Amino acid sequence: MKLRPCLDISLVGKPSGVVEVLTEPEVLYLPLRSQRFSFSQTSVTEGQRILPGQILATDPDNYGVPLIAPRAGTVRLEAVENHIVLEDVANEPEQKYDDPNGGAHAAKDGESLEEKRQKLLSLGAWQFLYDAHDESLPDPAGTPRAVIVSTLHLEPFSSRGDTQMVKRLSSFTRGLEHIQSLLEYQPIYLVMPDTQSQLAGKVRDAIRGYAWVKVVEVPLQYPRDNFTVLARSLGLQAERGEPVWAVRAEGVLAIDRAMTLGQPCTVRIVSLAGPAVTSPVHLRAMPGYPLNKIIPSRVHEGATRVINGGVLTGETIDPAQQGLDAECMALTVLDEQVDREMLGFVRPGGDRRSYSRCFTSSLRGRFGESLTTGLRGERRPCIACGFCEEVCPAKIMPHMIHRRLYQGDIEDALQIRVDLCVRCGMCSLVCPSKLDLRGQFIEAQNTIRQELHVEEVQA
Amino acid sequence: MKILRQLLDGSRKHFEDEGKLSFAKPLFDAMDNFMFAPSTRTAVAPHIRDPLDVKRFMSMVIVALLPCVAASFYFFGWRVLPMIIVSYAAGGAVEVLFAVTRKEDINEGFLVTGLLFPLVLPPTLPLWMVAVGVAFGVAVGKELFGGTGRNLFNPALVGRCFLALAYPKAMSAVWIQPGVDGVTGATPLVLAKQGTEKLAELSDLFFGNVAGSVGETSALALIVGGVFLLLTRVANWRTVVGCFVAAAATAAAFNLSDAAKFAPAPWHLLSGGLMLGVFFMATDPVSGPIKNGAKWGYGIIIGVITILIRNLTGYVEGMMFAILLGNIVAPILDEIAIYAHLRSLRSER
Repeated sequence: MKLRPCLDISLVGKPSGVVEVLTEPEVLYLPLRSQRFSFSQTSVTEGQRILPGQILATDPDNYGVPLIAPRAGTVRLEAVENHIVLEDVANEPEQKYDDPNGGAHAAKDGESLEEKRQKLLSLGAWQFLYDAHDESLPDPAGTPRAVIVSTLHLEPFSSRGDTQMVKRLSSFTRGLEHIQSLLEYQPIYLVMPDTQSQLAGKVRDAIRGYAWVKVVEVPLQYPRDNFTVLARSLGLQAERGEPVWAVRAEGVLAIDRAMTLGQPCTVRIVSLAGPAVTSPVHLRAMPGYPLNKIIPSRVHEGATRVINGGVLTGETIDPAQQGLDAECMALTVLDEQVDREMLGFVRPGGDRRSYSRCFTSSLRGRFGESLTTGLRGERRPCIACGFCEEVCPAKIMPHMIHRRLYQGDIEDALQIRVDLCVRCGMCSLVCPSKLDLRGQFIEAQNTIRQELHVEEVQA
Repeated sequence: MKILRQLLDGSRKHFEDEGKLSFAKPLFDAMDNFMFAPSTRTAVAPHIRDPLDVKRFMSMVIVALLPCVAASFYFFGWRVLPMIIVSYAAGGAVEVLFAVTRKEDINEGFLVTGLLFPLVLPPTLPLWMVAVGVAFGVAVGKELFGGTGRNLFNPALVGRCFLALAYPKAMSAVWIQPGVDGVTGATPLVLAKQGTEKLAELSDLFFGNVAGSVGETSALALIVGGVFLLLTRVANWRTVVGCFVAAAATAAAFNLSDAAKFAPAPWHLLSGGLMLGVFFMATDPVSGPIKNGAKWGYGIIIGVITILIRNLTGYVEGMMFAILLGNIVAPILDEIAIYAHLRSLRSER
């Protein structure tokens, strides 16, 4: 698949490379839901004193992915709805991570493939893996065709893979060895933004001789980091029963930690960024860390929206959610739109970047723009400008699909390949009629998937 | 600015569900959102949006039309102003009427239609005909299809077509010569029908010093506006290039076959409504095809048909019919382009 160059979004509020270590918490609020998982099977009881690394709950629909206690504490099941609360959290410093007993290379041990994968699953490292085509959790018993290791995070404000790689290069390359040991002979594609950079040079030196790692260069343009887009650009189409696995840099580090130290992965690097954040940073945080200890002090005043994930695909955090969830990679904070600009549409618009060239800003070079949650216009019927098709990385025709779905014809929408949508949100972003194209396509895809599932069950 | 904001906020209650003027809510909303950009927020991802909206998109066309409007004032005097006012008033009234009945937002599309329409009319046309024409164009050409974004035909051209068929004499008999008020003459295309001896000078056509419809005479002003539209990417260059190349090639072929009867290609490009039609009507994204491949075909069809009508039929100008025909063909061209596109996606999964 050939890709068109997509938006190069330059926005105010990018996180710096600094990783801030959060103070030890007193209480942890572990949400039972995250983007992919729902930890519905509780394995602890009220008031139980648990040890760090102990499994609190599992998700029976996702191969029993565990929710792991990052610290010792006392369990409260009913204190907050949809959360497991850990009280009296023991204050114990994080064990030094980059101090492996196995040296620079993965130790060769006698564990079988299945045992290794089970180990990853129970230590919470398996959940860093994705099926490249539908972003679901891969089956630990499955056999992938290939594994994509991505160091890219291209959505505006998301944490960047290199921030995490730079200091842990040896863990990273050892993690690659571990991933290889999970496979039989399948290739690993290491996706990097610039294969000529210093970091990339170091990585290449470190993996020299790993014939099974293929380094692929992908430019820093959203949504080139999307796993589906990456897989398709590598010629790895979706095949039934032959999945492609994908993992980000932090996943490689987690796998190394689990395999080398045999320790659970409880700490994540979460980026806290966005125009409403006073000094955007990366945070070293654990799941369950209270959100109100993270956000209010780092966000400037006024109405804001906290998004779990990036601005283009993330979801607004439910106000009832108290702590970081188990899959959180980025928190993005935007100011809510309040002001009403007088005669906004006739202004020259040198201060606003647009995909179109309808503002004088197109005569300027790159500049950072501070954005809010404003829809920036009124909702209108599609005027067939064709911008959505131009920016679509999946090369489908969002405007046509929108028309079919508007008429309620989901089968027709499938005929014109709504199934290829990678949910990147580019079409909604550029749409001058302010249509919610992404939401519409996700809904259609889910309906189609459900119907296919029903058909399979009936057959 | 603050006073206006307070005034609008203060009178809002009359237009809400319980208010006495609730039927005029679309009108109030349109006014309100015209003066102040709405503060609507995104509900779902993506949480940020591009600043371009339909209002801006449409105002780019209006900006691009300004040189042409200025030229029409220069050549035909102040009689153009009441035409524009009447066109906006009548077209706007129809738009508001439909919006109020449907309880929908008032669409920005008529801002373009209302300005384009007088530009394609003879400068001597009675004002009531302007009103009737624009009302017909907006109502039948657009609203009956569901409003802006859903129309098959260019509303301004539907209105003009209606006037040309209903009042052929007023639409084609009296043309005033620019500059010399009260003197009437024939348009260059009418003269060209009688052979190439009396062809208008290319320089006159270029600057616009000829008889013709209000906005079509000055090729220079239209090119300035058209290039602006192309640079802002509101108009697609494929349609424009396809149309110009096809028209020039067809006209050149005719001229080669009989130079005494058919005018040369540059003359055809600069005369009549071709410039106005290509830059401002054929590029209308709604009534034209969406796919880039189809846009080439669409432009070529319009260019060829225009010259065919001019050279071979009893009509002097073919632009209007060519674009309306193009509008009819557009969905078919799109269908072909979409088929090709889907074939290329067949292996994708």
